[in-house]
Amino acid sequence: MTPRQRNTGLIATAVATVIFITPFLYIFFMAMKTKKEAALFLFSWPSEWHFWANLTEVIQARNYMLLLAYFNSTVITVGAVTMLIIFGAMVGYVLQRRQSGWNRVIYGLVLAGLIVPPAVVPTIWVLQGLGLFKTIHGMVLIQVAYGLAFSVLLYRSFIGTIPRDLDEAARIDGATPWQIFFRVILPLLKPVTVTLIVVQSIAIFNDFTNPLYYLPGKDNVTVQLTLFNFQTQFQSQFNLLFMNILLVTIPPLLVFIFFNRQIVAGMTAGGVKG
Amino acid sequence: MASRQKSPYPYWFVLPAAVVFVTLFLVPTFASFWFSMTRWDLFEAHFIGWDNYHQFFKEPFLVQGLVNTLIYAVLTSASKSVLGLLLAVLLTSGILWQGFLRSVVFFPVLVSTIGIGITFQALMHPTKGVINIALAYVGIDGPSWLSDPGLALYSVAFIDLWKGVGLATLIYIAGLAAIAPDYYEAARIDGATRVQQFWRVTVPLVRPATVTVITLSLIGGLRSFDIIWATTRGGPGFSSDVLASVIYKQYQAGFYGLATAGNVILFMLIAIIILPLTWWFNRREVDL
Amino acid sequence: MAVSTSSVVLKSVRKSFGAVDVIKGVDLTVAPGEFCVFVGPSGCGKSTLLRLISGLEEASSGVIEIGGRDVTHAEPSERGIAMVFQSYALYPHLSVRDNIGFGLSLAKLPKAEIAAKVGAAAEALQLTPLLDRKPKALSGGQRQRVAIGRAIVRDPKVFLFDEPLSNLDAALRAQMRIELTDLHRKLGATMIYVTHDQVEAMTMADKIVVLNGGQIEQVGSPMELYNAPVSPFVAGFIGSPKMNLYDGAAAGMTCKTYGIRPEHLRLTNDNARWTGTVRHVERLGADTVIYLQVPGLGDMVVRADGDANPAIGAYVGVSPLVGREFHYT
Repeated sequence: MTPRQRNTGLIATAVATVIFITPFLYIFFMAMKTKKEAALFLFSWPSEWHFWANLTEVIQARNYMLLLAYFNSTVITVGAVTMLIIFGAMVGYVLQRRQSGWNRVIYGLVLAGLIVPPAVVPTIWVLQGLGLFKTIHGMVLIQVAYGLAFSVLLYRSFIGTIPRDLDEAARIDGATPWQIFFRVILPLLKPVTVTLIVVQSIAIFNDFTNPLYYLPGKDNVTVQLTLFNFQTQFQSQFNLLFMNILLVTIPPLLVFIFFNRQIVAGMTAGGVKG
Repeated sequence: MASRQKSPYPYWFVLPAAVVFVTLFLVPTFASFWFSMTRWDLFEAHFIGWDNYHQFFKEPFLVQGLVNTLIYAVLTSASKSVLGLLLAVLLTSGILWQGFLRSVVFFPVLVSTIGIGITFQALMHPTKGVINIALAYVGIDGPSWLSDPGLALYSVAFIDLWKGVGLATLIYIAGLAAIAPDYYEAARIDGATRVQQFWRVTVPLVRPATVTVITLSLIGGLRSFDIIWATTRGGPGFSSDVLASVIYKQYQAGFYGLATAGNVILFMLIAIIILPLTWWFNRREVDL
Repeated sequence: MAVSTSSVVLKSVRKSFGAVDVIKGVDLTVAPGEFCVFVGPSGCGKSTLLRLISGLEEASSGVIEIGGRDVTHAEPSERGIAMVFQSYALYPHLSVRDNIGFGLSLAKLPKAEIAAKVGAAAEALQLTPLLDRKPKALSGGQRQRVAIGRAIVRDPKVFLFDEPLSNLDAALRAQMRIELTDLHRKLGATMIYVTHDQVEAMTMADKIVVLNGGQIEQVGSPMELYNAPVSPFVAGFIGSPKMNLYDGAAAGMTCKTYGIRPEHLRLTNDNARWTGTVRHVERLGADTVIYLQVPGLGDMVVRADGDANPAIGAYVGVSPLVGREFHYT
């Protein structure tokens, strides 16, 4: 490392710290402060640490709504990601392996799914017709519909690297299409699957717009909706509001620490393919 | 031929995905063309022709939403590509703590937009906000970032840049990694300076990444909703409204036909911008 | 090890991909227990023909019978065949044990029976110490053996090999030729083997099928093909160095094509049929390959004694051995 590289590094780190880390430190400090101190909005070391007090108060607020929100968001995320993995891989598999006119149609629809903004009110109309409006399963299916394109594209390009000989060997071994897919192909997709689980989980967990439209009301709140609603409720309790922000920031931080590599792979692959 | 073989790649594999995608994405998308021409309360729809579209292009605040959408998308997309490339060059040059810096720049991408929005509301508070207090230290009287009608849209765009530039940087880092070092060595032997290397080698060869960053951030910018809703809710007045927030407001107010017309306009806008752009990018690629 | 074996019969089998006819009507009978090799240049349809027999591709028309049963439209797994792929196609996520036993576990055989069969196959192929490894951790030759093991446990009536040795280096290939021939002798099963390497065809086959342009050019034992190739194509394909082939008129014959193998030419000074200039000499030790330029004919390759060492540019006479010339009309 040349002195120049070291100095640039030091300056860059200093600037990045101010620009990118300050807001997170601010969240952290605010979350620890007393109600009175937080109202000052200052970027300062908390004079008293109210971690537990703030935490329990946020959790108990509005009859433990935050816990319900975490539960709902988790159910939606796990349900949607599971379906995105299996359905997405199945489509990507057929799309990559079979060459026919239909595939161009499917591929076109997949690209449309990436670009076209969902028509929200007609979607509500469809959901209502199916009895899925304001329900958790409806939300799960919405996330599946919106996330499929990305999964399919990622799987399709990865399946291209798996030799067809393997499918054929399995056919000769007597495997049905179902068995070829689940016992030979799907296990080999693990690297992309991990990437997709991580990336899609974060996207769905952080989603605000879709629950806002399709999951209104107090019964099926999600984490992001709760945070948004607390904004008005905690107008004078910024310590609690920021404790809530801290709580929604920690899961992605943990995922980022443990799955950094997969996230980077998924984001760049998605970007390059998209 | 009695018993033809079945394909090992049956189309019914597509079925579960297709059912969900068609019902919850394609059907609403096609239905939106019809509903956008109706007065609609979710139960009954009265056909009113192009009235919703007329209204959209006549009401000043709706037109402003359209203009704001364009400003917002172009601004965020341009700034993300320029800053993303510069950051990527910096973060691949082997500087101290490079890996840590990459993580720091990227992390905001993964954080809840609502959380970021609320945090910046506090940071950008006109009197108590950290930003203006810091500016006051150096003698600058900071503006009302989010409550000045002339500034709100740009402040939100800045927050969007802050949150999203990490993704652009990441894509550029992957793009830079794909450039063989030979090019730089050849350029150095030809006597190119660092600046010349950047303009003559890096910028042309990182083109695929540029295309990706611009396309992705334009689509994202045109559809942008949650960051705006979490900071200004389109305000003050309608000064920072974009199409997506206009659609939500019309939906809230019960103008479902009008909201859907807004949706169709957004769809058309994206198509009008993205399709020629993709075509143009691809054509240029052949020329190279 | 179980011995079961079947004949394979093809009746006017055709295959086209869209408008392209790849197999243009093939009739062939492979006797039970025979080692049959399909040879031909790339694109001649030999791999496609094998895939038609395996059921991985379906014939456009014609009939395929295995063991007397019409399997034209049967699934691959219902044909009583096993196949060894050029790439080996081992399942990367499964151990050697599970690779070999995969088909048996799909067939829901009892665990003990699977273990016994896998164990026996591994024993026969000297794979026992490697059973718990993943394919990644194996050498090329070991992977090849696992692929064979996976075929053996299926207890097939017919083994199909698709250029199985082409990914191995020369030494290993020679060794595997011997092992495969041994295996054939031991199992007595019908084997159909595709290769573009005429040495593999000559050394391993009971019967060679030479394919050209989607059609059978000739069928016969290795020596039949060597001694009596029915066409210039077969003549040029079997034997190394290649047979010298000339336009009949240029060679002073009435036939359309005249052929003479390099090893059936003798250097001679008196009454030489042709004289030519030595262009290049390859001394291989046991024999010497001489490249001549013969006026009126062009290039001619002569395989002479190891002692022969004509000078470059020298003028030498050559004559064909009696009864070894080929005339094609």
